[in-house]
Amino acid sequence: MLAAVFLWPLGASVVASFSREGQWTLANYDTVRRLYAGDVLYTVGVAAAGTAMTFAVAIPVCGWLRMRAWGPIELLLKVPLFVPFVVVGHALRVFWSPYLPGFSSSWAGIAMALAWKHLGLAALLLLGAFRGTDESYLEAARQFGAGSLRVTKDVLVPMAGPALAVTAILIFSSMLASFSIPLMMGRGGGPQMLMIDVYYRFGQHGDFATASALGVVAYLLASGAALVYIRRLTR
Amino acid sequence: MLLRALGLILALIVPASAATRLNVAIGADVNVVEVHKTLLGPGFRAIEPDVELNVVGTGTGEPASRAIYTKIKAQADAGRKPWDIDVALVSMAVASQMVKEGLLLRYVPQMKNAALVKGAEVKEAFGVTVDGYVVPMFHNQIAIAYHPSKVVAPPKSFDELAAWVKANPGRFGYNGIKGGVSGVGFTIGWVYWKTGLYKELTQGPFDKAKEPAIREAITALRDFNKQAIITNGNAGTLDALNRGEIWMGVVWIDQLVAWKNEGRMDPAVTPALPAPGLPIYPLYLVVPREAAQKETAARYVDYIATPEVQAKAIVERFGWYPGVDPEKVLALITPKSRDLLFRGVSAQDLARYSRQMPLKEYHDLISLAYEEIVR
Repeated sequence: MLAAVFLWPLGASVVASFSREGQWTLANYDTVRRLYAGDVLYTVGVAAAGTAMTFAVAIPVCGWLRMRAWGPIELLLKVPLFVPFVVVGHALRVFWSPYLPGFSSSWAGIAMALAWKHLGLAALLLLGAFRGTDESYLEAARQFGAGSLRVTKDVLVPMAGPALAVTAILIFSSMLASFSIPLMMGRGGGPQMLMIDVYYRFGQHGDFATASALGVVAYLLASGAALVYIRRLTR
Repeated sequence: MLLRALGLILALIVPASAATRLNVAIGADVNVVEVHKTLLGPGFRAIEPDVELNVVGTGTGEPASRAIYTKIKAQADAGRKPWDIDVALVSMAVASQMVKEGLLLRYVPQMKNAALVKGAEVKEAFGVTVDGYVVPMFHNQIAIAYHPSKVVAPPKSFDELAAWVKANPGRFGYNGIKGGVSGVGFTIGWVYWKTGLYKELTQGPFDKAKEPAIREAITALRDFNKQAIITNGNAGTLDALNRGEIWMGVVWIDQLVAWKNEGRMDPAVTPALPAPGLPIYPLYLVVPREAAQKETAARYVDYIATPEVQAKAIVERFGWYPGVDPEKVLALITPKSRDLLFRGVSAQDLARYSRQMPLKEYHDLISLAYEEIVR
């Protein structure tokens, strides 16, 4: 089953990325290097920024919720889980455009929209990890006068380190592969997220070979993160 | 793309009760799908009551046509016969590729209205001889739309356009080459203007020695773009125009007309076609080589190519330019429709400044140069 639904298409993509018109070649990767090296860096940068933004909001809010469980806030935090990517892209573009023209199509706008969408997933994973921390540690910290932020920073985050790492990897990988939000918010010029380039090569040019090479590069980027994840799982 | 292809498969296996089922795949927007469902299909059934049309839309832009190509190619590669698409509406690029790969039927000669299928674009597309394989459902022109309140004298040429953009930075927009074909068309129009090689780039033969001139033109476009807004698509340009963010932009005339008809666009926004012109990009009706209902498919396209149908459904109802002989079709439309159709861009403008797409090799060179130089 795994071979049929994952390994076979993956293998077909890898083969396609090394061939053109029936010949084995590295030309597709050369095209990626010449035309899309900047986009690879841009994609990694946006994904990293988006992940950082997600954590900048999720960690303090989840820390606060760990100590003062409040249903409505927790529910609000998880709402993005149920909002489709396309809707997030469209809604934020329409929301920002009148006040901040040009922001939604910038790298910061795309990273922020990705962060908004991933807040729900981060909240789900982080709250679970934070709630797994024994209450006695929090009590002890509080007795020494630590507030919510201090307890989060010095107790919850270090103790939930492995869960934080796994959450970061999942979110980073998801952002690397994001398509709908950049498509809805981005512009037709300037640096592009990698999946937009894949779509362009295939959709506009019917160039499956270069699209596959771009896909393999994305696999490699995501698999770097996935290796860390698997090591965590198997430890 | 896979989801689109899956959707297409599911839609095409739905059983129909009529004696002959005609599977029609439309690689265009929902309004085009609706024309087939509500106007052309019922009109055809009035002549041939035994035919049931199964009309399926595959989306918008080039990927919509690619979904149709992918499906037909897969059936051809698998050796399966007959194929389950009888009539398809595809872009110029995809149609030329399908002709090249032997996937289409040469059905036009058997049509009663074959003589009305005329023009350079039905002979060659991207350097491929498509004569006899394609019938444009309608023609679609790329143009510069502008706000008359902001642009007192619309540019009559690319020289005037470049000067206006320099004097009004941030007020001209188009969608680059990754946001849709109107941006690709503008880029190609720019290259025709800068290089003066229209004839060579469209008629060939391909000559790699033309590359430096193309790259020089694209380098100039990079500088031009510094004063322009790159929008996120055809709709994005119209939206920016409508909101007054830009005062001039590159649009599809049919989309501009459609938005105006739907009340989504400032009716004052007007198209113009500057010299030496911009590409016209028809959507072709084609019949796959192994279609199950080849004869009926050809008759359906023949019906759509009838001047009366073109006049009522294509021109008067939607404000599109006719797909077949305009002399025969435009004689049948009302003066009001004629005025709407040619407001801003006259029939003479179209005759003089509608440009063909270049040979595929030049098209690829231009795209590559844009990606390398402009980004």
